[in-house]
Amino acid sequence: MSNTGTGPVVSFEDVSKQYGGLKAVDGLTLDLRPGETVALLGPNGAGKSTSLDMLLALKKPTAGRIRMFGSDPYHAIKSGRVGAMLQSGGLMPEVTVRELVSLVASLHPRPLPVETTMKQAGIDKFADQRVDKLSGGQTQRVRFALAIAGECELIVLDEPTTAMDVETRRLFWANMKAEVAEGRTLLFATHYLEEADQAADRILVINKGRLLADGTPAEIKERAGAKRMSFRLPRVDEPFLLGLPGLESLEIRHDLVQIQTRDSDATLYAVLDAGYRPTEIEVASLGLEQAFIAITAEDDRDNGPAQVTRHASAGKEMSGK
Amino acid sequence: MSSTSGTLALAKAEIIRLRRNKRYLFFSLALPIVLYLALGKSAITEGGLPFKFFYLFEMASLGAFSGAFNNNAIRISQERKDGWIRQLRLTPLPANSYVVAKIIATVTLTAPQIAVVMLLGRFYGGIDLPVWQWTVIALAIWLGTLIFAALAVAVGYTMDPNSVQPVIMLIFLFFSLFGGLWFPITGALGKFAEGTPTFRIVQLAGDVVKTGTVSWAGIGVILIWLAAFVALAWYAVRNTAEAI
Repeated sequence: MSNTGTGPVVSFEDVSKQYGGLKAVDGLTLDLRPGETVALLGPNGAGKSTSLDMLLALKKPTAGRIRMFGSDPYHAIKSGRVGAMLQSGGLMPEVTVRELVSLVASLHPRPLPVETTMKQAGIDKFADQRVDKLSGGQTQRVRFALAIAGECELIVLDEPTTAMDVETRRLFWANMKAEVAEGRTLLFATHYLEEADQAADRILVINKGRLLADGTPAEIKERAGAKRMSFRLPRVDEPFLLGLPGLESLEIRHDLVQIQTRDSDATLYAVLDAGYRPTEIEVASLGLEQAFIAITAEDDRDNGPAQVTRHASAGKEMSGK
Repeated sequence: MSSTSGTLALAKAEIIRLRRNKRYLFFSLALPIVLYLALGKSAITEGGLPFKFFYLFEMASLGAFSGAFNNNAIRISQERKDGWIRQLRLTPLPANSYVVAKIIATVTLTAPQIAVVMLLGRFYGGIDLPVWQWTVIALAIWLGTLIFAALAVAVGYTMDPNSVQPVIMLIFLFFSLFGGLWFPITGALGKFAEGTPTFRIVQLAGDVVKTGTVSWAGIGVILIWLAAFVALAWYAVRNTAEAI
């Protein structure tokens, strides 16, 4: 991570976007520093897409100001310093993949060799196919190629690996790491939390248009505070377990007890003090997914109808994608 | 790269696409040629002007106008929905280049189309005119192409792909019918038709052949329509900037 001290690559200053009565983005303030790889996380409708649209000058903020390389986003993009890929971006039909990549490269002030770009995006094998005859995953890779067709300093990707299979996704991130190693700043929105965990050195969690958490993956996990504990206990006493100190959630399947707790030590001691001898005890930190759910659920609870009950098994069914 | 060369690169790609599009080639090139071959030797004369002249203007205009209007409106509407316009806005290409490139491509491809029908008129239909008359007729049709291209931008940016087809059919039918592109319009209907740009374009071509003069009122009507449609297109593009 190279912080060259040239000021932020991107800054949002109290940015809001209002659609009629709905506030899609609500007072967002943040900076992206040079060389960072930042993941933007949030449930559907959290304001991720609107934020990226405003950053990419597709929409204007209702209030606040966005700066990119010290100028307004439109001029930063027109100077070729940004490579971007959006879910909603379409391709020109009736031309071949190579023709399309060549066209977009020719629009750049500092184009990269078309063959290099295509190899990097993994589309060289179908370079002569017509764009309108591609599969979803292939289309996604062509979109990525268009984002990196020119020499740029900031890459913005909206859910880049959707529609990619596991192998392609792995290849994609290997390529991306090479791009970032050259000093580029990367901002990506994703639904795959393990991607954010592995690829990002900073995570922004947004919900209802507001920034809820901003930190390294480790900090985000810590911020959720809780640990996950599981053990086997025959003839479980549910009322007793519900009264355990630090308990956040409880799930019982036959004799398998799964607990989310703010204080794993106190919880475990209470079980032992009560004379129980559970087996196969496991204690682990929450994964990013659970941390993410905990952070957004806490926000929903504070600002709306309660969504988490003590019985709810945090995890699978509450997770976004 | 300057923004001009980017726009030209996009226009070039648009031309490549159009040349690959069978539907476009059929309606804009093949159909007018076939119809002209069928009708261009007509011996009928009406209003002092042989029908073979009329068919010449008609076929050259129909091909050029339908290409400029139908094709552009459908594509712009579809490309807006597909997100191609959005994708282009993420590149260093200036925001207005998409529209400018479409119009450049249309106008560029229309020129040879008009020329082909005129060559047929000269060598198949036996129409012998001085060069300046051919030039005025070609320019008039070409100006009409611009009018329809501008209207196509307005329609394409306003309507979604599902509803755009019937709308452009009705609009085109109106202008081609009252413009006298299907048959000469006379009498009371002619008074009404005089207000349309298409009628004035056909009239301009007829006047040049018959009398060797042009009607400035006619040119005025054509330019007013052009200005109105350009304004409409500009408004439609600006108004949908956030909905792309």
